[in-house]
Amino acid sequence: MNGDTFKINVEHLDFHYGDFFALEDISVGIRQYATTAFIGPSGCGKSTFLRCLNRMNDLIPETKVEGKITLDGNDIYAPDVDTASLRRRVGMIFQAPNPFPMSIYDNVAYGPRIHGTTNKAQLDEIVEKSLTRAALWKEVSGKLNTSGLALSGGQQQRLCIARVIAVDPEVLLMDEPCSAIDPTSIQKIEDLMDELKSKYTIVIVTHNMQQAARVSDWTAFFLAEHADRPAKLIEYDKTDTMFTNPSDKRTEDYITGRFG
Amino acid sequence: MRKTFHQELKELKGEVLRMGQLVTEQIDDGVKALVKADEKLVAKVIDGDDEIDDITIAVEEQGLALLARQAPVAVDLRLIQSLMFIAVHLERMGDLALNIAKAARKTTVKSEGSPELIGLINKMGKKVHKVVDASLDAFDRKDCVLAQKLPEMGEPIDALFKQFFKELTKSTDEESLEWASNMVLASRYLERIADHAVDIGERVCYLVTGEFQEFSDQEQ
Repeated sequence: MNGDTFKINVEHLDFHYGDFFALEDISVGIRQYATTAFIGPSGCGKSTFLRCLNRMNDLIPETKVEGKITLDGNDIYAPDVDTASLRRRVGMIFQAPNPFPMSIYDNVAYGPRIHGTTNKAQLDEIVEKSLTRAALWKEVSGKLNTSGLALSGGQQQRLCIARVIAVDPEVLLMDEPCSAIDPTSIQKIEDLMDELKSKYTIVIVTHNMQQAARVSDWTAFFLAEHADRPAKLIEYDKTDTMFTNPSDKRTEDYITGRFG
Repeated sequence: MRKTFHQELKELKGEVLRMGQLVTEQIDDGVKALVKADEKLVAKVIDGDDEIDDITIAVEEQGLALLARQAPVAVDLRLIQSLMFIAVHLERMGDLALNIAKAARKTTVKSEGSPELIGLINKMGKKVHKVVDASLDAFDRKDCVLAQKLPEMGEPIDALFKQFFKELTKSTDEESLEWASNMVLASRYLERIADHAVDIGERVCYLVTGEFQEFSDQEQ
């Protein structure tokens, strides 16, 4: 599981929102076919960092990125990079499930259609495969034409995962994917993550430390030690080590709830 | 700040330390009961063991409940695990103290044994008391340096244990041989108690460093 090939490599990343210095000197290697969790208090920049990995922050005005992020060795901030194609390879699942107001089928087929697949049989196959991988096929195979919005919150989130999977990504970025859904659905998504990591590289941001402990192979702890100072990567290690014997006192204080 | 949880953890540690104190008293009483063949003290040690057993079960139950409810990690996780292990070691030390006291009942000759053996067992009892105290102190203060000294502190105890056999050969009749044999048995129990104290020391270093390392085996 903990393959030592780095799918994504981040070197000395600084990130600014206008005048605000948000992240300082982050260097981290994200391992292929493993799940990496980012943890840290609110405002520590973990979601900002996640969004750097597929240039989602480009959509926010006045942001500035310095340093280097590579995907399979290629600089994702190089001038010739097509961000649409980057975001197909590095997909994102958000905190609140956000299905499009269209049928389940069309939700999943949306991406492949945008990327040029028009053949019905091919689309059918992609939809079934994606929904199966997202552990949703059995529940929705008989009602593919009903609205994605008619599903439960947990099912909607799995539909969003299927929608991302449908464009055949290599990396799945998950930003608090379980914070808005019920415990049974959380269990299903966590089981799903375990299956997905054999085919994808997964990065998850979570406030739920137990979730990080359950689902990830590697854990990175971010912290901004003062409100007006940028966040830094404090410690990055195997999840087992981080949760039994972290090296840094600040990590220990955070995960054992001794902050504040 | 997880105040309630850390308070509960502190209380659980307090219980284990209290248990340690009770066990130390049981060791002292056990040795005293044996050398003085004091039936009242034997009965007291037997009663005292029930309380130790009860605390062991309570520590295990409360430890499990904290694991289930609070999902502790890092030093908190290691502390709960250590508390549960240390409680088991203390419980066994208590059982050994009980065995020492019960050995008093097996002797047919009362308080007429060899003064050398009585001197030896008293001396050994005091040394074991010291090692057990040090192990509890190391645990209380999370002092890995002190914990690492425990094997060395146990060495004279092993040496004393060997002397018992020499004394045993001096017994001239069946009655004194039986009495001396019980003393040897008791010294073996004392030596085992000291080994458990060393095991507690290993747990202390694990608690502090997060890495388990066995101290050198003093039985070799």
